[in-house]
Amino acid sequence: MNAYSTLRLVIAAALVLVAVPPARAQGNQATASTGGAQEDPVLRAMLVELERSKSQLKLENASAPYYVEYRVTDLDHYDAEALFGSLRFETRQKVRILRAVVRVGDYHRDSYFRQGLGMVDILSLDDDPLALRQTLWLATDRAYKAATEALTAKQALLKQFSTDPPVDDFSRGAAIRQIGPLVRLDVDPAPWREMLVSATAQFRLDPQLELLSAEMKFEASNVYFVNSEGTVTRSGHSVYQMVVNGSTQAPDGMRLQRSPDFLVGSIAELPTAAQFSALTAEMMDSLKKLREAPLVEEEYRGPVLFEADPASDILENVVGANLLGQKPPPEKPGRTTGSYGGSYKNRVLPDFLSVLDDPTQRTFAGRTLVGSYEVDEEGVRAMPVLAIEKGILKTFLLGREPIRDVPVSNGHGRAAPSTPPGPSVGILILKTTQSFSPDQLKKKMLDLCRQQSKPYGYLVKTFGQSLEPRLLYRVWENDGHEELVRGATFEDLDTRELRNDLIAVGDDFLVSNRWGALPVSVVNPSLLFDELGVRRADLTKDKLPEYPPPALSAPR
Amino acid sequence: MALPASSHFCAGLPARLRQLFPNAIRLSVALGLLSQGVPPLNAAPADKASDVLLLTMQQELLRATGSLSKSDPPPYFLSYSVYDDESAVVVASYGGLLRSFGGRRRSADVIMRVGAPALDNTHNESRGSALTSGSLPLGDDRDAIARELWRLTNLEYRRAAPAFLNVKTSATVRSAEEDLSPDFSTEPPQSAADNSAISFKFDEAGWNEKIRRYSAYFRKYPEVYSSGVFLQMDSSKFRFISSEGTKITTGGAMARLVIQAETRAEDGMELLRVETFQAATPEGFPAEPEIAKKIEKMAADLKALRAAPIAEPFDGPAMLSGRAAAVFFHEVLGHRMEGQRQRGDQEGQTFTKKVNQLVMPDFVSVVDDPTLKELNGMSLSGAYSYDEEGVPASRVEIIKDGILKSFLMSRMPVKNFSHSNGHGRGQAGRMPTARQGNLIVSSSKSVKAPELREKFIEEIKKQGKPYGLYFEDVQGGFTLTTRALPQAFQVLPVIVWRVYPDGRPDELVRGVDIVGTPLAAVTRILLTDDAPQVFNGICGAESGQVPVSAVAPAMLFSEMEVQKRAQSHSRPPILPPPGFDTGAPKVPDGSAMPPVKPAVDPAVEPPVKPLLNQ
Repeated sequence: MNAYSTLRLVIAAALVLVAVPPARAQGNQATASTGGAQEDPVLRAMLVELERSKSQLKLENASAPYYVEYRVTDLDHYDAEALFGSLRFETRQKVRILRAVVRVGDYHRDSYFRQGLGMVDILSLDDDPLALRQTLWLATDRAYKAATEALTAKQALLKQFSTDPPVDDFSRGAAIRQIGPLVRLDVDPAPWREMLVSATAQFRLDPQLELLSAEMKFEASNVYFVNSEGTVTRSGHSVYQMVVNGSTQAPDGMRLQRSPDFLVGSIAELPTAAQFSALTAEMMDSLKKLREAPLVEEEYRGPVLFEADPASDILENVVGANLLGQKPPPEKPGRTTGSYGGSYKNRVLPDFLSVLDDPTQRTFAGRTLVGSYEVDEEGVRAMPVLAIEKGILKTFLLGREPIRDVPVSNGHGRAAPSTPPGPSVGILILKTTQSFSPDQLKKKMLDLCRQQSKPYGYLVKTFGQSLEPRLLYRVWENDGHEELVRGATFEDLDTRELRNDLIAVGDDFLVSNRWGALPVSVVNPSLLFDELGVRRADLTKDKLPEYPPPALSAPR
Repeated sequence: MALPASSHFCAGLPARLRQLFPNAIRLSVALGLLSQGVPPLNAAPADKASDVLLLTMQQELLRATGSLSKSDPPPYFLSYSVYDDESAVVVASYGGLLRSFGGRRRSADVIMRVGAPALDNTHNESRGSALTSGSLPLGDDRDAIARELWRLTNLEYRRAAPAFLNVKTSATVRSAEEDLSPDFSTEPPQSAADNSAISFKFDEAGWNEKIRRYSAYFRKYPEVYSSGVFLQMDSSKFRFISSEGTKITTGGAMARLVIQAETRAEDGMELLRVETFQAATPEGFPAEPEIAKKIEKMAADLKALRAAPIAEPFDGPAMLSGRAAAVFFHEVLGHRMEGQRQRGDQEGQTFTKKVNQLVMPDFVSVVDDPTLKELNGMSLSGAYSYDEEGVPASRVEIIKDGILKSFLMSRMPVKNFSHSNGHGRGQAGRMPTARQGNLIVSSSKSVKAPELREKFIEEIKKQGKPYGLYFEDVQGGFTLTTRALPQAFQVLPVIVWRVYPDGRPDELVRGVDIVGTPLAAVTRILLTDDAPQVFNGICGAESGQVPVSAVAPAMLFSEMEVQKRAQSHSRPPILPPPGFDTGAPKVPDGSAMPPVKPAVDPAVEPPVKPLLNQ
């Protein structure tokens, strides 16, 4: 088969098919009434085994469980990858993952510890009641025995420490019933798969490109949850991602990489072939420019402006991560494990800023927020949490494990399919009482340069991993022109800088969807700091290729 | 259990099966599978006339060797191995489908040697520096394939060149090694094109239904707590070219059906039965009635095992079935015959200096013959035509009339063995090393099975022992060959009987492992029967998982040492299985629940599960 002729054909098809409505909207066949639990074979099997475990599960001379929960995540996942204009990987996988938690003890002190954190198994994809129940039965049995032993181990450990004031191990939960519609991945991925192929075929244009690949991940997940407090929930989510990865080497061997993506919550928001190709071309162009860009050699301390995209990384990693109400281990004092643990009711941001985490929002400026959910993975209803109000830390994002001063869940107990739930960001939104247009912000930065006698300020357009700038520009004070540079890193970029050196924000609010362990969204504008340290990064440089890449065949 | 890097573990069931199966701590591994499958594509690999992939590999290899000859230091050897694999997996348990997926994958290994055959970058522990792996595009796009091969070759050169400089430095610094063999043997170039098309027709719906149905048979047996049926089909095409001019294309296909059943005794001991069927295609599997009978037997075995007493530590006469003896030889002898274990200061070198000496009774001979596809109508899974270093497979006489003759050799020479005998094996992504293929044990002192049993009873009486042990079936074993650890092996029997000399019926026992040291163990064979049995399995060692066979007749040993198996103390499930809970809670087999002692034992998971984790 001639790859090129089919390629063109399918791109045409893709252009027609992008108008397919989102899977979420298609999957509404399932009943949405609260009585739906008995009609759903998975929930029914879970409820039968839950009832059996609640009423009968007990070892002689050991306590019966005080709490049992089952979470089943039904995943339908499609993944494809193209390399240098040719498909190298494609897979469609369905799996149902069960996580069973049995707690022994009571809400104040229980067995949720080490082996008592729950048991994971793979559950039948068929809705056969006996096959489903068999796995639930064995997982519950293992979880209960492990919990019994975990409680003993935990009590022994706690004797070594005095926890003052004592915080409960588990907060009480209201019984809620929320049977949401099921989502399905009933879309033909071919048009998007072909986009990966055609976009990466552009490698032909740049012989110095080391790697050009593109990947798509489509996932529909349905989470079923029941617990012995009477909560029964079912909710579905879809996430679609298309990413292009490129890398090249500068003449001095420095490896330069980029991986821009589209991450959306509905098919309709996925890129067209033209858009995805343009993203790829733009990325390749930026890599080419980076190769030629000068190295950052000098140390700098002065104004830095972050566009909304890199600013979302800062918010997620520096603010969001520290807002999580993660209980520290018994031997560690403190409210949480994060660096806001000692900042309760204190200022953590400038007073013109507030931070809201509101998973109940669905869209922002027409874009689906992938961090949206109605109930969390502990069966608690999602709720908006104004964590930072006018710069003051008011509360933490919390699941059902309480921390000092925050005794109950605020619906942020989230989890990846096989992992224990924990506090997590849903939709992190930066709110401001005063904002500036991008032009005003840039002007403000140049004013600061002038005040500080700096010939230029820095502008960050994209971060890579762990807050390493990938697209970094010097903006020259004299004429405002932007000069791309490479090989720089920030000296410090943490909670202190955000509290003391963040002086203004833009009005260019942007939705950034992320998909690490969990889908999350961040909504924020550009950020201007009056003083940050920028210095040369310690980057190891690889040797350049020993010989040139293969010549390309003549176009057919 | 994380086995030491140089332990060898072999079992009758694929590790993948365990990953897919019920046990919480393994789920992360199971999820890893999410990224393994690739659905079949329409673009079939070009076979016949124009093999674009092979042609591209050749062009790129030629270009690479030409260009890199100007680098300093230049490589003296370069090879490309490309594995075009198509596979399908179906797993079901208790009548419900757990997983079903199929896919294609094309992986490439670039192997580069810098220096000279006498001393190169692979020397000693630096062997891994010769290999860089990646995966190639699936279609026939010459430009994409060439570009990725170029990228991988450059990456590999960046590893191999500095590794060689390190090797050279340590060679001058360290004292002379005992074995001064070169690092790479000289072999004549090979050329072979096996283009027998392996059509892969995976009737997904049909197999899903069948495997689901098979797994539902276990619903009849409440005493089997956990069970599963696993189908795996693989077809693969292997392309290998090297700078020495070797150019090989081979293909093969294999289907495995594994049925596993598990229960616990009242004292918590885990009991396992596994049945494996293997054929070139699934059409070669037994018909459903036979499968149903096997399942019934497995369930009956487990029920009997639950009630069986625990074996006591024992040292006395023993009889091994052909399958058990085959695994015993694979572990005890086979792994120690692998060439690389005869050199290097980490290896125990049990047999290194025993060449041309009597190492076992003179009626025993052992060969490893990967050229045999079947033996007496039984298919052998360790068969292949060329090894992963492009050397033709050959029959190797390891033990002739009790005398050690030769080792299994890859292209890594050892003292007095300077050439490969076509046993350089490995899975994609690993450096090939000497491995077993079809290990075949034969005997010139054999009797019919009933007579062997009579001799067994005579031996028990002669030694004045209350009983002997008969090992009917085993599920696998492992062995350690490094110096840092005891030179030991373990065979994991699943069906073991006490045989009484006074005519009492044989008594099933559970929880026994064969242990011992290799040199002593093999000298104690007294007699064998005349009906060799085959154990087909998957063997894991440093070069990855490879399919192997071991063949042996039943054997009578004057002495065999067994130990109690390390076991978990978890009780059987508290509640009856779903569907068996009509009355009050009771244990599934109807017996009264034993008194429960307070749960103070910290061991939740069995402390050692060597068979199941890799």
